[in-house]
Amino acid sequence: MARMKFLCDAERCIECNACVTACKNENEVPWGINRRRVVTINDGSPGERSLSVACMHCSDAPCAAVCPVDCFYTTDDGVVLHDKDICIGCGYCFYACPFGAPQFPTTGAFGSRGKMDKCTFCAGGPEADNSSEERRKYGSNRLAEGKLPLCAEMCATRALLAGDGDTVSNIFRERVTWRGSSGLTWGWGVAYSKPGLRRGRGVEGKAAGKD
Amino acid sequence: MNNNKRSLTAHQDDFFSVVKALLVIVLLLSIAPQALAAGDAEPAAKVVNPGAELWREVRQREAPVAGTTQVAGMDSGVLINIRGEQWRTFRMQQLIPAAGALLGGVLGIIVLFHLIKRGLRLELGRSGNYLLRFKEIDRVLHWFVATIFIFLALTGLILLTGRVVLIPMVGHDVFSVIASASKEGHNLFGPLFLLGVIGLFIRFVSKNFPGKGDIGWLLKAGGMFGGKHPSAGFFNAGEKIWFWLVIFIGLTLSATGLILEFPFFGQDRLIIELSLVLHGVGAVLLVAGLFGHIYMGTAGMEASLESMTSGYVDANWARQHHDQWAEACEAEGAVIAGEELAKKQRLRGTKNRVPDRPAAEEGQ
Ligand code: HEM
Ligand code: SF4
Ligand code: SF4
Repeated sequence: MARMKFLCDAERCIECNACVTACKNENEVPWGINRRRVVTINDGSPGERSLSVACMHCSDAPCAAVCPVDCFYTTDDGVVLHDKDICIGCGYCFYACPFGAPQFPTTGAFGSRGKMDKCTFCAGGPEADNSSEERRKYGSNRLAEGKLPLCAEMCATRALLAGDGDTVSNIFRERVTWRGSSGLTWGWGVAYSKPGLRRGRGVEGKAAGKD
Repeated sequence: MNNNKRSLTAHQDDFFSVVKALLVIVLLLSIAPQALAAGDAEPAAKVVNPGAELWREVRQREAPVAGTTQVAGMDSGVLINIRGEQWRTFRMQQLIPAAGALLGGVLGIIVLFHLIKRGLRLELGRSGNYLLRFKEIDRVLHWFVATIFIFLALTGLILLTGRVVLIPMVGHDVFSVIASASKEGHNLFGPLFLLGVIGLFIRFVSKNFPGKGDIGWLLKAGGMFGGKHPSAGFFNAGEKIWFWLVIFIGLTLSATGLILEFPFFGQDRLIIELSLVLHGVGAVLLVAGLFGHIYMGTAGMEASLESMTSGYVDANWARQHHDQWAEACEAEGAVIAGEELAKKQRLRGTKNRVPDRPAAEEGQ
């Protein structure tokens, strides 16, 4: 059984927000909600890094543990989904989530919360696959069509990876091996494995030996 | 523009990062000779990977590191919310089981106590004479707070424990409707509770300062386990403690409740999680106290409920439980004969009349 995971390669992410936009468009996410966001740490300083974050589909999901109405479920692919018909919009999942993934449309007066919305790994919800009900409530169900989440498919630098955890980590492991591990393993030449650049800077790693 | 929000413990973190960086450098220096011997080219300058340090900072456990993001929303710049898991563990593994144990335990003790002791009887029976204990305004206030409190306690406990208690009984779909109604109701009536607590404070604070006999009353546990009934004024020490619990925990519940309900004063997750913890703990404690309070006002003490229904108590009840107050009333000549009071109430059409005959049920 696959275990779906996201992985964002911070050496590659250029904070273009294409993933955020792709997600919003593909899933017709409610107003004021972004299921994905790009966070930049040390913005403007040397060594700044950006990461695209959304729901990470935790194995032992804190959101599911605290939900007072127990509306989460994990699919056979390891995707954490929830049932909007049961959700009461209490916000507890957001307080428990390590990644700030659950989002809430503001519905009534006094800033009261509507039903929770979050990244579905483009896997819809409990309704029949690709039914109009499912699309209206949760957005698209690309997984049912054999496609991966659009955010990752759209990522121009291939920073955002999505798919089975084993496959994703193999890709990432390969990248890291190529980059080597010295203090100079950051920056364009390294992240995109330009051997010439790497050799010029005396960087180790498999990539340094190739042309 | 660099507008990183740094964590509270930034200085500490900086300090630790420096220490860590030094450690790494020392390590690198120690292996440098081998690297020199092995390499034929100029050795690469050993620089600490800035990325490594960054991730150490992001993963650190003391406080969340905030970055910048284009997406608006609460804490949207925080990559990892390290306190969510602490709150989850507290709520699911401590608060909910403890709430069950405490409320179940207190209920059990009360039932057991009642089966053994049968409550406190009127030792001398009824005198047929009455003292005015609570004016109408105080009774209305009491029942106003009581109604709201019980409603909030029920709806709140449904949110807290319903997943464990009710879902196995009624299923997810039905419970969702119950929980949603509980949440809306709780949010609607919650703010009124604050008004009630303030009202209780204004009307009763003067009678609830520590006074003569309180220590003795406490030492004898209110005469609960036999012995001579300890002396007490208008309120005994137990009632005073309950009063202050209601005031302090009630204000805490109101403050945290309002923080939870109106999330637009820029509260971040930490404040909300802390509020949920205080709100939950306070609620469970006060509900446990309420069980005791209800017992003492009804089955636990004969004839005491009348003080909050008709407002009058039998003079013998007053002498038995609040001797200092009873004496003061008698000295003032405030004792009313039963027939006189009954007539007055009949004329007024009072609903909750004093019982015409001793031990009769009072009218609804
Ligand atoms: C001014 C008064 C109060 C306000 C404004 C208030 C508000 C709230 C709010 C907003 C919540 C979160 C629920 C949600 O959003 O779904 C909550 C939860 C709760 N409240 Fe209150 N409340 C008040 C008084 C009380 C009182 C008097 C009690 C009990 C005696 C109580 C017991 C609870 C409990 C047990 C929870 C659930 C906590 C949890 O699930 O972790 N509340 N309250
Ligand atoms: S919403 Fe948060 S806690 Fe729940 S699975 Fe996604 S990342 Fe994990
Ligand atoms: S907001 Fe909805 S999904 Fe989240 S914890 Fe509350 S009821 Fe569950």
